[in-house]
Amino acid sequence: MTLTILWLLPLIAGALVAFMPARVSKLMSAITAIVTLGIAAGVALVFDPSAHQYQFTEIVPWVPQLSIFYHLGVDGISIWLVVLNAFLTVIAVLATPVTMKNANRFLGLILAMSAGLAGVFLAVDLVLFYVFWEAMLIPAYFLLWLFGEDEDQPGRAATKFVLYTLAGSLLMLVGVIGEYVATGAKTFDLATLATIPPTASIQFGLFFVFALAFAIKTPLFPFHSWLPDAYRAAPTPMLITFAGVMGKAGAYGFLRIAIPLFPHPVLWWDWRWVIPVLAVAAIIWGALMALAQRDMKMLVAYSSVSHMGFIVLGIFAFNVQGQQGAVLQMVNHGIIVPALFLLVAWIADRTGTRDRSALAGLAPRMPVMAGVSVIVVLAALGLPGLNSFVGEFMTLLGAWQRAPVLAILGAIGLVLAPVYMLRFFQGTFQGEPIDNRPMHDIYTGQLVLLSPLVLLMFVLGIYPYLLTQLMSALGQTGLAR
Amino acid sequence: MIPLAVTVDITYTWSQALADLSQIAPIVALTVFLLFAIVVDLALPKSRRGDAVAMVAAVGYVLSLATSAYRWTYGNGGPAYRGYATGDKFALFFEILFAALGILTLAVSHSYLKRRRFVAGEFHVLILAAIIGMMVLASATSLVTAFLGLELLSISLYIVCGYARGDTRSQESAAKYLLVGGFASAFVLYGMALIYGGTGTTLLPGIAQALHASTSNNPLILLGIVLMGVGFAFKISAAPFHMWTPDVYQGAPIPVTAFMSVGTKAAGFAMIIRIFAGGLPHLAPEWQVLLAFVAATSMIVGNLMAIVQSSLKRLLAYSGVAQAGYVLIGVIAGGQNGLAAVLFYLFVYMFMNFGAFAVVTMLAGPEGDRDRLSDLDGLYRRSPLLAILMTVFMLSLAGFPPFVGFFGKLFLFTAGVSAGYTWLVVLAVLMSVVSVYYYVRVLIPVWSSTARTDKLESSVSGTMAIVLSGVLSLALGLYPTTVLIASQLGVPTSFFGP
Repeated sequence: MTLTILWLLPLIAGALVAFMPARVSKLMSAITAIVTLGIAAGVALVFDPSAHQYQFTEIVPWVPQLSIFYHLGVDGISIWLVVLNAFLTVIAVLATPVTMKNANRFLGLILAMSAGLAGVFLAVDLVLFYVFWEAMLIPAYFLLWLFGEDEDQPGRAATKFVLYTLAGSLLMLVGVIGEYVATGAKTFDLATLATIPPTASIQFGLFFVFALAFAIKTPLFPFHSWLPDAYRAAPTPMLITFAGVMGKAGAYGFLRIAIPLFPHPVLWWDWRWVIPVLAVAAIIWGALMALAQRDMKMLVAYSSVSHMGFIVLGIFAFNVQGQQGAVLQMVNHGIIVPALFLLVAWIADRTGTRDRSALAGLAPRMPVMAGVSVIVVLAALGLPGLNSFVGEFMTLLGAWQRAPVLAILGAIGLVLAPVYMLRFFQGTFQGEPIDNRPMHDIYTGQLVLLSPLVLLMFVLGIYPYLLTQLMSALGQTGLAR
Repeated sequence: MIPLAVTVDITYTWSQALADLSQIAPIVALTVFLLFAIVVDLALPKSRRGDAVAMVAAVGYVLSLATSAYRWTYGNGGPAYRGYATGDKFALFFEILFAALGILTLAVSHSYLKRRRFVAGEFHVLILAAIIGMMVLASATSLVTAFLGLELLSISLYIVCGYARGDTRSQESAAKYLLVGGFASAFVLYGMALIYGGTGTTLLPGIAQALHASTSNNPLILLGIVLMGVGFAFKISAAPFHMWTPDVYQGAPIPVTAFMSVGTKAAGFAMIIRIFAGGLPHLAPEWQVLLAFVAATSMIVGNLMAIVQSSLKRLLAYSGVAQAGYVLIGVIAGGQNGLAAVLFYLFVYMFMNFGAFAVVTMLAGPEGDRDRLSDLDGLYRRSPLLAILMTVFMLSLAGFPPFVGFFGKLFLFTAGVSAGYTWLVVLAVLMSVVSVYYYVRVLIPVWSSTARTDKLESSVSGTMAIVLSGVLSLALGLYPTTVLIASQLGVPTSFFGP
């Protein structure tokens, strides 16, 4: 029951808070999110890293005719994403201003999306995974559309996002059915399916449809064009889980489904080489686009494309370092990106613009904000001692073992990251102030909201073993190939 | 080779009569109430007719539903009337479906007829007759009986389509439906005649036997299949024989459209399965090719044309064309899984599609139907309940989990891939992406902040029907097993192919 609570509780609470007055709604949402986080953390503490199998499993027949099971479980990979999701939901709920229009509906949808994401990470049955995967689109769509900040064309970004994602995921439905039919085992159980791969030519086709769905969701170059629009339109509290967790669902799909189920999809073309090349392209392309942005929100959005590239590169290194680094980096990026988006939103709130070239010399007027920002920016560019460094280092190490050229090209992203991140920081906080309008420094509430994120940046930077110890199962479950 | 003089046994005992009647008990129940409703309509004073007839019809539907459910559980279904009709589970499944549809239609149309000041009595009588026609169709095991049901259904619907007599579009709808429907019926009849000519019998088991025995392909039969296929495609509004659908749907009063979109389609599929899978299983490769072509065109045409519609009725009409294409995949795949998927989909399609139309019914005012997309503006301000339910229906039609439309598609597609029709499934999936675009387009006005000031009809029975449809669209998605078991039981083993 524990794992069911992890997704059912936010869902039920989400349905209820949508009809409460805004203040009560926020309080109830916060309580729900914190309780969920508590349960998730409890699961992580009780989790036994030495047992190389799914734990806390729950299995109930759902549609016996097609042997579809309601089957949940966590292993050393998914547990971290579940905790990350629960944690960021707390931040997202707390970051939602009560004064927002229809704040109760917003919170309800945030909780529903968080429930869907939790389900994706918990599901061990292919159909159940697909159900959660699709279902989480519904709240995401309504959030983007009803609360989007895209005034001139409301709904455009939302529709684009949904159509893009669906194009991939509905093809994945063919893949899900194809896997069921082609293996001949009449089962959707992920662990069983991993032991009976279909023939190489069928694997090729199935890998293609699954990889396409995951590549769009991640997003991987060149399937990323929904991302700038969606991130531009998304309100910041939504971005905390949207950018922080939902993108990871795509990478998680690669790691959990595409790689274990289709170990040798070689036919005309080795996809196990194509994906890393695309990942490297995403790293470089995202970084270059980030360099070109004047809008700070877009800068962070494109930096996100670049960072997701590292994650996919690590996964497709097909070795333990790379894949552990990728999971670590999923968590790291999930901590850094929300912090960046929050800072950008707060700066824009005070100055009235997100254009970094219109800002300068904010540091003397907001010393604390500048101090926090420098930590987050340094974490984002991968400074040793902060969390991102370890993950990126491990993914590149894994890539090097697979093929040095991948690591060398991927490292270009590491070189470019300081350029755009420091330009963002120096441009806004340092230099000669443009005007002398008095500005309020970071509010205490905002600092409190950000402090757990910043704290985690230090903790995970200094002691990444905290996470990797539970991932020791990775090498044994047949995931790393 | 075909005996010209057939000796007919004309003895018919009371016990046999009772046994035959009990096999078609749901139809008998409804027919009795149809006659009763006509009498009531004649006898009562004008002011009280509408309500009284509605009451009679309601009791008739409930009784018919209860009879079907009883016979499903305890009955011993088998052939009746010397093999011209049957009371098997396939028939009962559809009888349950049609009786439930009758209840939903009655609930929604009751207040609608009052609002638009239509004569209620005859409307209910005609819908009753149409439902009886559908039930006859579902329980027909002979080409003759099938045609009888088809005509009863069609003629009733020709009249109700033109029920808004003052409205030229309604008249146009009736005229178009009459002409095109007449054509389709002629095609079907011609096809049936050819099949009869080729096999010497109109009884479906006899046809199957005769074809099993023959080794060579009889061109008469093949032509018969093509002609019947064309006629059926008309009835289920599958492309390229769908042209009448948008116009007829748009012109007809909305409850009629809602009724037709679900009922005619389900009846048409019942006929297709009964005749093609039940009567011509040995020619499966022939009609599968034909239906695969029709399915592919329907999915493409329906989905692409729906994008550009600004009228909800037309949009849902094209969406219905596309949905017919998805369902055909199950028919083509065949076997227990494929046909059970078809039955499942038709059953749940009733709730999601009828629900969507029912919401539009609530928008209608005294002067006419309001079915433009902009008429939905700000629905959530005017009625949050309707807005949420409309969202459920659209998402379910689009095939989003956890709503039931997802499982409907999953079962259909699984059957399709298992039977080797992967290309058709891939096409269906790609077209589903397109469909999401227009289903979501309906939701945009629903949740937009600009609200209209039109008064919304508050109808208890209508709202209850919509709520029921919405709840079932979600509940059956969370737990599809029971209906799926029923669908599997509803497919006779003789349909599983040679």
